[in-house]
Amino acid sequence: MHYRRLFFVFAVLGAVTLGACRRESPEPPAPPQEQPDPGPDMDSLQRVQDSIAAAEEAARRQAELERAQADARATLEQMVFFEYDESAITPQAEQVLRQKVSILEASPNVRIRLEGHTDERGSVEYNQALGNRRAESVRAFFVQFGLSSDRFETTSYGEERPLVNRSDEAAWAQNRRVEFVITAGADQINPPSM
Amino acid sequence: MRDQRMEGVLRRWTFRVLGALLLSGTMFTPGLMAQDIEERFPGVSLGITYDGRQAATLAIQPFTGRLGGENVAPRVQNIIGRDLRYSNRFQVLDELPASLSADEVDYGLWDQMQADYLVTGRVEGAGTTSTLILELHDVVYREVVDRGRFPLPNPESADFRMAAHVAADAVVMWATGEPGIAATRIIFSQRMDDGNQDLWIVDSDGENRRRLTNHQSISMSPDWSPDGRRVVYLSYRTGLPRIYELNLETGAEKMVPAPRAGDYLTPAYTPDGESVVFSIVGSGRSGLFSYNLARDCCFANISEGAYEDMSPTFSPDGSRMAFSSNRLGVGAPQIYVRPTNGGSAELLSPYAFGRPGYYTSPEWSPLGNRVAYHGRVERRGVHQILISELDQRNRIVRVTSEGVNEDPSWAPDGRHLVFVGERSWGRGLFIVDAVTGNVRTLVSGVRANVPSWSPSLAPRMAEDR
Repeated sequence: MHYRRLFFVFAVLGAVTLGACRRESPEPPAPPQEQPDPGPDMDSLQRVQDSIAAAEEAARRQAELERAQADARATLEQMVFFEYDESAITPQAEQVLRQKVSILEASPNVRIRLEGHTDERGSVEYNQALGNRRAESVRAFFVQFGLSSDRFETTSYGEERPLVNRSDEAAWAQNRRVEFVITAGADQINPPSM
Repeated sequence: MRDQRMEGVLRRWTFRVLGALLLSGTMFTPGLMAQDIEERFPGVSLGITYDGRQAATLAIQPFTGRLGGENVAPRVQNIIGRDLRYSNRFQVLDELPASLSADEVDYGLWDQMQADYLVTGRVEGAGTTSTLILELHDVVYREVVDRGRFPLPNPESADFRMAAHVAADAVVMWATGEPGIAATRIIFSQRMDDGNQDLWIVDSDGENRRRLTNHQSISMSPDWSPDGRRVVYLSYRTGLPRIYELNLETGAEKMVPAPRAGDYLTPAYTPDGESVVFSIVGSGRSGLFSYNLARDCCFANISEGAYEDMSPTFSPDGSRMAFSSNRLGVGAPQIYVRPTNGGSAELLSPYAFGRPGYYTSPEWSPLGNRVAYHGRVERRGVHQILISELDQRNRIVRVTSEGVNEDPSWAPDGRHLVFVGERSWGRGLFIVDAVTGNVRTLVSGVRANVPSWSPSLAPRMAEDR
């Protein structure tokens, strides 16, 4: 009798541990079906059930946090695009950059390399300067929102690393961009505080 | 003797002057009217520096061989014959007289073929010890202009072709008093399918193309040292573009230190070969900087501002430099010239008020009298090669018409330019002769970038021997 109860407790703990490990399944495991001896041990059973619920809650929060962090990271790494021969921030790019600003405010240890790119028109070497200008205008946007300038490093690949290897307007539009490479604090990305 | 020559010269030149008059009106306006050019590049004339003179006619008598040189002779002759065509200084005869004795020079026969010059060659010996005996004859004067002996390495060795190129350049020098371009090479970068880019090298006749670097990164913007032994270029191998010097003989590499943040771009040697000058772009400020490679020291600032000064290039005596800059506004780069030691910069590229234009990638001719660069014809990004003639009151001429053409680099003769061209059939490197307007393909079917033409490598060949 005594051993059977012990076995049951271990089984439940095992299930809880398993559940906690599977962060993508927030549903609690099925409640115990067999209650071998409800009589004298109600309190301890209740304690076990409470701990299960607490662990479950913690697991769910952890999963939510991780999902929010993954989302934040994706937002941080989302590229922004530019008009032909321009380095000015477009309205669409501004929306993306504003989201990045709130994440960067909440994640002071994150550092980013801004990599500017151009389309294939224009001079090869001059395009390296144009790509750098795009990266610098993203940095200036961040600084204007109070972020520290030295969290960002800028560089340019000019026209040498196209995203789309074609020569048409659609491809050029995709290739005129700044990419965001997280160089430090990738494990300390916090979602924006509400 | 004198009368004989005058007669021959007069006979030939009567036809040539007539021909030149006809040609000069029609030859250099392919697809574009003069007015068109005027509108796209203010003050630019198409028609380059064509001077109306016709090149001398040059014939090549089949080379002979002795003591084992029989097999090598035709190979050497082919290389030299093509080099002399590529020099654009001669009208090279393709046909031979019907009755030709292999061992003797019959000036009368060649005179009937309208030849002004005749090249004869004999290869003596085989293997590692053969020698080419080369002669240039004046057919009208019926005499030898000059002759030379050129050691030939084993025909299977890597230096064999270069040894023949050295001999070809000697013929050009004997006939014109000016340097040839056969004994030269061109370094450029080539983008591979995986997006990486490495430096490649090719002989002036398009042969012997091979890879120089293998960094699994982007390497580009090469510039040859004046002694032909080293090359500076930029590489992204650390993640950021930095300047490196590669010793072509030892393979040793040296990185230029980077005490300032920013992208290090467009490196170029100073004419003494001791220092490299380059652009640093970033942080809203940019400028030209120099570093002494010979002494490994002395990082110095040459210009600084918000203008994005790039692509420095020097007059042969080092007293002046040209570069591109955004002084007239972002997105409107122009070519400027200033004294190297400071002073105000003067605009060199075409400028019309209200139409700022787009001109980049200057390179100063090794003869000192010209600066080549490229300019944008239309907003969608069609570039053509232009030359500012400093000894012609900065007259600007355009030397390309077909396709898109960028990043010119001068040959040591100061009249040929190699450049990146895009045609309907693909991309490659092309060579234009700024005097005749002749264009030939150097490398085709590869995604080539920013070439640099070497100085003459003939002195190096002589030293190595």
